[in-house]
Amino acid sequence: MSANGTEIVITGLAAITAAGVGLDPLRETVRSRVSALRPIPVEIAGGEGHLWGRAEGFRAADFMPPLKARKFDRCSLFAVVSAGMALRDAGIDSAAFGAERIGIVLGCGFGGIANSEEFLRGYFTRGGDGLVPMLFPNTVPNAPASNASIEHGLKGPNVTFVQRFCSAEAAFEMACRFLEEDRADIVLTGGADELNPFMIRAFRDMGQLRVHARGFSEGAGILVLEKGAVARRRGAAIRATVGDIRTIGRLAPGREEEGFARLIGTGKSPSLISLSGVAGEMPVLLDRLPSAPRLETSPLLGRSLAMGGTALISLILASSPGDSVAHYTASPEGPYYGIDFKRSESL
Amino acid sequence: MTRKRIAITGLGIFCAAGKDIPSFSRNLRQGASAIGSMDLFDVTPFPARIGAQVRDYDPLAYFDRKTASRLSRADQFGVIAAGEALAESRVTDCYSPYDIGVSVGAGAAGMLHAEQWLKEIIAGGKGRPSLLRGILPDRTATAIASHFGLSGYQGSITTACSSSATAIGWGADLVATGRLKSVVCGGSDAISLLTYAGFNSLRVVDTEPCAPFSLGRRGISLGEGAAFFVLEDEEGATRRGARMYGYILGYAAVGEAYHMTAPEPTGAEAARVMANALDRAGVRRDDIGWVNAHGTATPLNDVVETKAMKLVFGERAGAVPLVSTKGLTGHCLGSAGAIEAVATVVSLNEGFIPQTLNFRGADPECDLDYCHEGTRESQASLALSNSFAFGGNCTSLVISL
Repeated sequence: MSANGTEIVITGLAAITAAGVGLDPLRETVRSRVSALRPIPVEIAGGEGHLWGRAEGFRAADFMPPLKARKFDRCSLFAVVSAGMALRDAGIDSAAFGAERIGIVLGCGFGGIANSEEFLRGYFTRGGDGLVPMLFPNTVPNAPASNASIEHGLKGPNVTFVQRFCSAEAAFEMACRFLEEDRADIVLTGGADELNPFMIRAFRDMGQLRVHARGFSEGAGILVLEKGAVARRRGAAIRATVGDIRTIGRLAPGREEEGFARLIGTGKSPSLISLSGVAGEMPVLLDRLPSAPRLETSPLLGRSLAMGGTALISLILASSPGDSVAHYTASPEGPYYGIDFKRSESL
Repeated sequence: MTRKRIAITGLGIFCAAGKDIPSFSRNLRQGASAIGSMDLFDVTPFPARIGAQVRDYDPLAYFDRKTASRLSRADQFGVIAAGEALAESRVTDCYSPYDIGVSVGAGAAGMLHAEQWLKEIIAGGKGRPSLLRGILPDRTATAIASHFGLSGYQGSITTACSSSATAIGWGADLVATGRLKSVVCGGSDAISLLTYAGFNSLRVVDTEPCAPFSLGRRGISLGEGAAFFVLEDEEGATRRGARMYGYILGYAAVGEAYHMTAPEPTGAEAARVMANALDRAGVRRDDIGWVNAHGTATPLNDVVETKAMKLVFGERAGAVPLVSTKGLTGHCLGSAGAIEAVATVVSLNEGFIPQTLNFRGADPECDLDYCHEGTRESQASLALSNSFAFGGNCTSLVISL
């Protein structure tokens, strides 16, 4: 139950990752703990030993005509396709259900960056004649969520977040709030991100390829959140129930313990904890978490700013029926999130 | 459950139309447009060569050299405006840092600097990596949180031109739920080549200062700046004796699900967000004194917003002034919603309705009251502020005295 007593459940999941398209390759990667990351070509990384998590198995043509695919940027393609997969997984026909009651709140870190680079490159190389107007609309970070809403007719609340490695968790928190406040009955949430050679060049120049941009990845992880009563009324399979959501913006210097106390739940000890962002690299956080097996998705699937969606889905896939599980994520300068779930019998 | 009333206890602004609340208020009342020539970058290749650029800006007047070098232009604007709001509210003296959060609406953020990096590497240079530091729109929230020691929440909303209106609504929500005792919320954005060239390439930039709801309008004038509110629940604000400038009574944020750049043409979707916001605020349509329009001055936006007004207010539409302040501030994209919300609060407090500037003649398709003739005295205590964006991301805020 959420703070105001609204039961929020998860009824649909979809993932496009370096492991492949769909839930099965993700489930297998999480089960086997074999990394899906691959070497970045030396000519892109500028040296050996760097890995990335490109969604090489994704082909837009498998999901839509090429002419239609051309109007989207890569990140929007991930969002449009995975939103469709998530709606199908949840058994939702948006038109029949009521478009205004279905919202979408996504995290998106680098959406639009490829279009921005191409648009500006045209200008810097050929002046005004090099500007390609059709690139501009998809330079905005909300393009993935908005394109998904247009393609699937979702007229409920529509918001995009970016907040470092907690972008998807920030979106998840708002999505839950929209359900609590009856702004929608169903909200698609999670994250979408893209990765391209230009970004690797920028990470390299910033000295981040071996730090926070290590094993960077792309793809989408989308969850369908729904009011429990609505899900039961339509006979939907409930995958998990959302529990407490805790966040702090940053650790206040000299008052770190107070911050950790607010972040770390005091309820039933989880049977599995997932870690995303830089949470797995923060001993001060790890030392304070309850003792439980841990699932860190970054080494398996890579990390992106909106990786939280994929990490949450991985946690649900890796847990057992009836398990209480928890997800923790952190960004280098904040924020931090802790989210609790209860796995349902069905998956 | 009774919903908490969310009070506005601090205001801050930094934009071309005023570098603090007193100067902005003066220019708003006088209708002193900030749209003029630009020198941020070379604008000669573009048909429109004007904008509401923050002029005579010296970062070292506000920051030490080291801090200034770490913050993008947008981050700096954000820290300055948030600082004004926080200083006035004195909220940081009253609550734990974990009870105060930051909710920011962002746009192009540090793109202006990142463009320089791209230009340098295209030219075969190395590219200074420090230019990329502010490229992500979330950086402003982090800069404000760290500059003022706010540890309760950090979130950045990126829905283009409705970002900061949504960030204010969401900020109010974070307080209403009890998750935070106070939040500094608003938006910051800086003009960049990307947005300047982008809107010019779409041919939606007017070569003259934008003329919302006028005959012969040809599009937007770009602007930049930041505006922030400090919000807290009325009870807490009363207990500590804070000055209250008004309330955020409610908001709505919806998706039109129509088109990436064009608004739904009947106005039904824009009307839906306005009506939702009023319903959520528990406000009767008859009580709304005026509406701060999205009012971009593109031929299509202004007609659609006019239609939406008629759908929401019915026969009373002509009696509810629909005012655009973009002729004053330019279209500040990621911070537009916050700047317009501040303009709304200032106007309600000072008892006037701002003028919609640059009237060029009556457009038969825009046949409502737009306050073209001049600033008007008003006893209104309730107003609506609209923000519509690329992707059909529409937000309306309900603001009261």
